[in-house]
Amino acid sequence: MKRLRQFLKWMKGHLYLYVAAVVILFVLQYFRTLTPLFIQHIVDAIFAGDPDASSLPGFIRYFVEGDTLRQSLLLVAAFSIAFTVIRALLFFLHRVLIATFAERVAYGLRNTIYNKLQNLSFSYHTQADTGDLIQRSTTDVDTFRMFLAEMLIEVMRLIFLVSFAIYQMARMNVPLTAITLATSPIVFTSALIYFNFVKKVFKRVEESEARMTTTLQENVTGIRVVKAFANENHEIDKFEATSSDYRKESFSLLKLMAVFWSATDFVIFIQYALTASFGVYFTLTGQMNPGQFIAFLTFVGMIVWPLRQLGRIIGEFGKTTVALDRIDEIVTQKDEHEDDHGGTPSIEGSVEFDDVTFQFDDDPKPLLKNVSFKVNAGDTIAIVGKTGSGKSTLINLMVRLLENQGGRILFDGNDIKSINKKHLRQHVGIILQEPFLYSKSIYDNIGIMDKNADKKKVHNAASVARIHEDILSFEAGYDTVVGERGVTLSGGQKQRVAIARMLLDNKPVLIFDDSLSAVDTETDIQIRRALNHYWQNTTVFIITHRIVTAKAANKIIVLDQGEIIEEGTHESLLAKDGLYAELWDIQSSIAYDFQKRGQRSEDT
Amino acid sequence: MSYFEEETYTDTSFDVTVWKKIFRYMKPLKKHFLIGLMAVVMLAFLDVAYPLLNRFAIDGIIEEDRIDRLPIFIGLFGVYVVLIVTMIYTFIIHAGRIQVELAYAIRKDAFHKLQELPFVYYDRTPVGWIMARMTSDSRNLSDILSWGLIDLSWGLLMMVGITIVMFVVNAKLAAITLSVLPLLIYTSIYFRKRILKAFREIRKQNSKITGAFNEGIGGAKTTKTLVLEESNYKEFDRLTSRMKSHSIRAAVFAGLYFPTILFIASIATALVFYFGGLEVTTNELFTVGLLYVFVSYVGQFFEPVMMLATILARFQQAQASAERVLSLIEQDVDITDRPVVIERYGTFDKPLKENWEPLGGDVTFDNVTFKYKKGETVLENFNLEVTRGQSVALVGHTGAGKSTIVNLVCRFYEPTDGQILIDGKPMQDRSIAWLHDKLGYVLQAPHLFSGTIRDNIRYGKLDATDEDVIDAAKMVEADAFIRTFEHGYDTQVGEGGARLSVGQKQLISFARALLADPRILILDEATSSVDTQTEKVIQRAIETVMEGRTTFVIAHRLSTIVNADKILVLEHGKIMEEGTHEALIKQRGLYYKLYTNQFQ
Repeated sequence: MKRLRQFLKWMKGHLYLYVAAVVILFVLQYFRTLTPLFIQHIVDAIFAGDPDASSLPGFIRYFVEGDTLRQSLLLVAAFSIAFTVIRALLFFLHRVLIATFAERVAYGLRNTIYNKLQNLSFSYHTQADTGDLIQRSTTDVDTFRMFLAEMLIEVMRLIFLVSFAIYQMARMNVPLTAITLATSPIVFTSALIYFNFVKKVFKRVEESEARMTTTLQENVTGIRVVKAFANENHEIDKFEATSSDYRKESFSLLKLMAVFWSATDFVIFIQYALTASFGVYFTLTGQMNPGQFIAFLTFVGMIVWPLRQLGRIIGEFGKTTVALDRIDEIVTQKDEHEDDHGGTPSIEGSVEFDDVTFQFDDDPKPLLKNVSFKVNAGDTIAIVGKTGSGKSTLINLMVRLLENQGGRILFDGNDIKSINKKHLRQHVGIILQEPFLYSKSIYDNIGIMDKNADKKKVHNAASVARIHEDILSFEAGYDTVVGERGVTLSGGQKQRVAIARMLLDNKPVLIFDDSLSAVDTETDIQIRRALNHYWQNTTVFIITHRIVTAKAANKIIVLDQGEIIEEGTHESLLAKDGLYAELWDIQSSIAYDFQKRGQRSEDT
Repeated sequence: MSYFEEETYTDTSFDVTVWKKIFRYMKPLKKHFLIGLMAVVMLAFLDVAYPLLNRFAIDGIIEEDRIDRLPIFIGLFGVYVVLIVTMIYTFIIHAGRIQVELAYAIRKDAFHKLQELPFVYYDRTPVGWIMARMTSDSRNLSDILSWGLIDLSWGLLMMVGITIVMFVVNAKLAAITLSVLPLLIYTSIYFRKRILKAFREIRKQNSKITGAFNEGIGGAKTTKTLVLEESNYKEFDRLTSRMKSHSIRAAVFAGLYFPTILFIASIATALVFYFGGLEVTTNELFTVGLLYVFVSYVGQFFEPVMMLATILARFQQAQASAERVLSLIEQDVDITDRPVVIERYGTFDKPLKENWEPLGGDVTFDNVTFKYKKGETVLENFNLEVTRGQSVALVGHTGAGKSTIVNLVCRFYEPTDGQILIDGKPMQDRSIAWLHDKLGYVLQAPHLFSGTIRDNIRYGKLDATDEDVIDAAKMVEADAFIRTFEHGYDTQVGEGGARLSVGQKQLISFARALLADPRILILDEATSSVDTQTEKVIQRAIETVMEGRTTFVIAHRLSTIVNADKILVLEHGKIMEEGTHEALIKQRGLYYKLYTNQFQ
C-alpha cells in the first residue's frame, strides 16, 4: 500500500492519460488475437463452404460474408486491411498517451527535485556526495520514466495478450488449449529466476567496468606524474589487469545468457512440437478443423514468447522501487525555508555577536564558543586564525547557512533568527574563496546580480575588480562561456569575477571569505584600494590568511579553536605579543630576511 | 572546439577506409566470426524451414489423412528443436566472444597509444574526450560489429530465403505479395532518419539537464548566498519544459513508425488472402498448407524490418565511433626518438637499460625558440646554463613562459628552433625514457592514485622496499601524520587522494619524488593557501627534496626563490633579469618591484 502511494504520488493529475492508454491497450490486444482467425475463417468457412465453422466473432463475420467465393475472399482481404488501420490508429493513440503521461511525470519529478536541491540546507549539501545526487536526479528519474512508459505497459500488454490468446484458443478447442499451456509455468518461472539471479552477475560486470574506468581516468588526469616517473609500462600493466578482468566478467555474463536463451528456447520449441502434434491428432480425429489447427500454430507463439518476456521484466521491477526510494530520500528532506517565518527588518550594517556558540550535531566539540563582538556600520573587521579556528563557521552563521545554538547574532538590534533568510542574504553579501561561476557567458555571470544593469555598469564593475583586461584578452571577450563547455578560468580570475558580480549590488554588509587568496599580491593591493573607495559606507568583514590584508582593518579579531583570543587594532595586537604577533612574525620573517639580504647586497 | 564536441552527428556516407582499419581488429577473431556466421546462416535457414515443417503436417498428414506419418513429423520436429537450440547457443557464445575481445583489443591499443603520446596532447585534449573514446565509443563499435553484424545477416538472410522459397513455390503470388516492398523500403528510410534526429535532440536536452543539476548542486552555496534560487529554477524549468515537448514529439513520431509498417504488412497479407485464396480454389498444386506458408512468411518477412532499420542507423553511429577511436589510436606521436637512439636505448616499453649512461644534471638551453602550432611564440632565442646541483627559480606572471621552460626540460615539448643539451649532449641523442627515468616532477596540486599511501610513495620507484618508502616519508616529515592513521601506510587515499588534506597530499608527493631520487627535479609550486604551520613543514620538505639535484622551480614562495642559486625573471618569453637574489635586489628592477610590493 505504501509502495502504491509512493508510485501514485508522482502521477497525480495525469493518471487519466494512463487509464485511457491502458483501456486502448486492452482493445488492441483483443484485436491482435483476432488476426490468426482470418486464415481460419478462409480455410474452414470459405473453402469448406461452411459459414458456421468460422471462429471470427459475429461482428466481424457480418462484414465478411459474401455471396460467391471470390467475393468472400475479397471481403476478408479488404476487411483485414481496414481492421489493421483501426489497430494502427489505436496503437498510435496509445503511444502518444503513454509518452505524454510519462514525460509529464518526469517533468514534474525533475522540477521538484531541482527545486528541493536548491532549497535544502547548506549542511545537507556539505555532507552530500555530488555524484550520487546527480545520479538520483537523472538516472533514477529516467528509470522511473522508463518503468512507466515501457515496463509497466509491457507487462500489461503481455498479460492481456496471453489472456486473450487463451480465450480465443478455448473458444476453438479446450483440450488443445490446455496442452498449449503445458510448459508455460516452466518458461515463466525460469525467466523470473534467471533474471533475478543474473542481476548479481550484472553488478559484478558493472563493478569491474568501474574499476577499469577509474584506472583509466586516474592515468589520464595524472599523466604528468606517470610520465615524470617514467611509469608508462607499470600503467599499461595496471590497465591491462583491469581491462582483462572486465573482459572476463562480461564474457561470463554472456555465457550465462547463452545457456538461458537456448535452454528456454528448447522448452518453447518443445511446446510448439506438442501443440502441433496433438493438433494434427485432434484434427484427424475430427475434434477440430484444419483452419483451427493453423490458427493454433500462431497462438502458441502468443503464449510462450510473452511469458518469457514477462518473467524477465518482472525480474527487473525491483530497480524501480530502489530508484523511487532514492528519489524520496531527497524530496522528503526538510527545506531550509519551510520553517522560516522571519520578517524583513531593514539592515543598515551594525552587527553584534552576543555569546554565540555553534556545534554540529555529530561533533562533540563546539566550533564556536561564546563569541561576542560588536561592529559599527561602515567599519572594516578582519578575522584571522589558523585553519579550523572557526572563521568559516562564523561567516556561515551570519547568513544563516548554519544556525547558532547558543547566544544571539544581531543585525541593527534584530536577532538573526527573526530575519527571513532570503532577506538576510540579499543584504549580507559573501564573496567566497572558491566562488562558483554558472556556465553562462562572463557577462551574464557578472550581470546575474542585477538583470537591468547596462553594459557600462557591467564593464565598470569588471574594471574595478581588475578582471576587465583579462576578459578582453579572451577570444570571445565578455561572451566567453565559463565552465566545462567553455573556458576554464583560473582561481584568481574566478575570484575577481565574483567581486565584480558583487559590485552590481549595494549591500550594507559584505564578507570577503579569503576571496583574494588566489590573486597575486600586487593585484590584491590594487583591488583593495579600489574597493575601499567603492564601499565606504559598507560594513566589511575580511577573512584572510594574509596578515598584511588584515593590517588596515578598524578591528582585528583573532580566533583560535572557536574562541576569540585577541581583539584590537594591528598595533595593539602586536604589542600584546600573542598569536597574532606570532603569525605576523612567521609571515614577515621572510620579509625581514628578504630586506636584510637586500640591505646586505646593497652594502656590498 | 568542434573537434571535441561530444557528438558531432553528420550524415556521413559509408567510409570504406575506416571500416577496413577496424576490420583489422576482426582478423584474430576470424574463427569466432565464421562459426557465428555459420550459426546465423543455419538459423535463417531454420526460420525459413519452420512454416514448411508445419506445411507437412497440414498437407502431408491432415489433408491426405495419413496419421501414420505423425511419428515422422514428430521426429522431424525433434531434429529441428535440437538444431535450432544448438545454433542459438553457438551464435550467442561466438558473437559474445567477438564483442568482448574486440572491445578489449581496441582499449589495449588506445591505452598503449595514450602512454606514448606527448604531454602536449593532454594539454589540448579534454579528459572527457579521451574517456569517451576508451569507453562508450569502443563499446559501441564492438557491439555493432558483433551483435549488429550478426543480427543484420540473420535478418537479411531470412528475407532472402523467404523470397526465394516464395518464388519457387508460386512466382505469381510471390510477385504480388512482395509488390509492397518499395513502399516498405521508402517508409523505413523516411522514419529511420527522422527518428534518429529526434532522439539526438533528446540526448542533447538530457545532457543539458544533467549539466543544470550539476550546477545546482555544485553551486548550491553560491546560489544561496546570492539568493538566486528563483531565477535558477525558472531557467531550469525552461530546460525541462523543452525536454518534455521534444520527448513527446519524438514519441509521436516513433509511434507512427510501427503502425505504418503494420499497415504495409496488412496489405501484403490481404493480397495473400485474396490472390492466394483464389489460387487454392483454382490451382491443384497450391494447397492450403502453402497458403499457410505464405501467410506465415509475410509475418516473418516484416518482423526484422524495424530491427534492420535500427541496425543500419547504428552502423552510421558506429562509423562515427570508429572514426573517433581511430583518431586516438592513429594520433601522431610528434615527439619520438630517432631510430639510432631507439637502437641504443630501446623503446619505452622495451628499454635497453644496460646501455643507459648516468645523468649528471647539466642543462643548457642553446638559443631555444618555442612556438605553438597555432603560431603563438612563447619563447624566443632563449639561453640558459645550469650546472648540476643548481636550483633555478622561475618567476613571472602567468603566460610569461615558466611552464614552457619546464615542459621543454621534461621533453614534453620540443624546441621549434635551437637545442637543449643535457650533460653537454643534445637531448635528442638520448631516449625520452632515459631522461624521464632520471627526472622528478613535483606538483603541489599533487596527483595521487587510488590505492594505499605506501603504493603512492612507491610510485616514485616501483621496486623500492618498505623501508625505503618509510625512510622517504620520514625525510619529508610525512611519517608522523601517516602513523596517526589507523591503517598507517596501508591507508587508502581514495580516488585522487580525496581522503587526505592538501598539505598531506603534498608531503606524500615529496616523499614519492625523493624515493625516485631524480637528477633533475621540476617543482611546480601551487598558490593554494595552507595554514602557516603546515607551510613551514612543506618549506622544510622542499629544501630536503631539492638538495643535491638540478632543480627548476616555478616559484611562488619567497623562501624558495631567495634560496635559489639562480633566479630568472620572465616576461613574454624573455629573460628580463637573471641572477642571485642579492644581485637582483641590487638592480632595483622588475624583481625588486615585484617583491617589495608584498610587504609595504
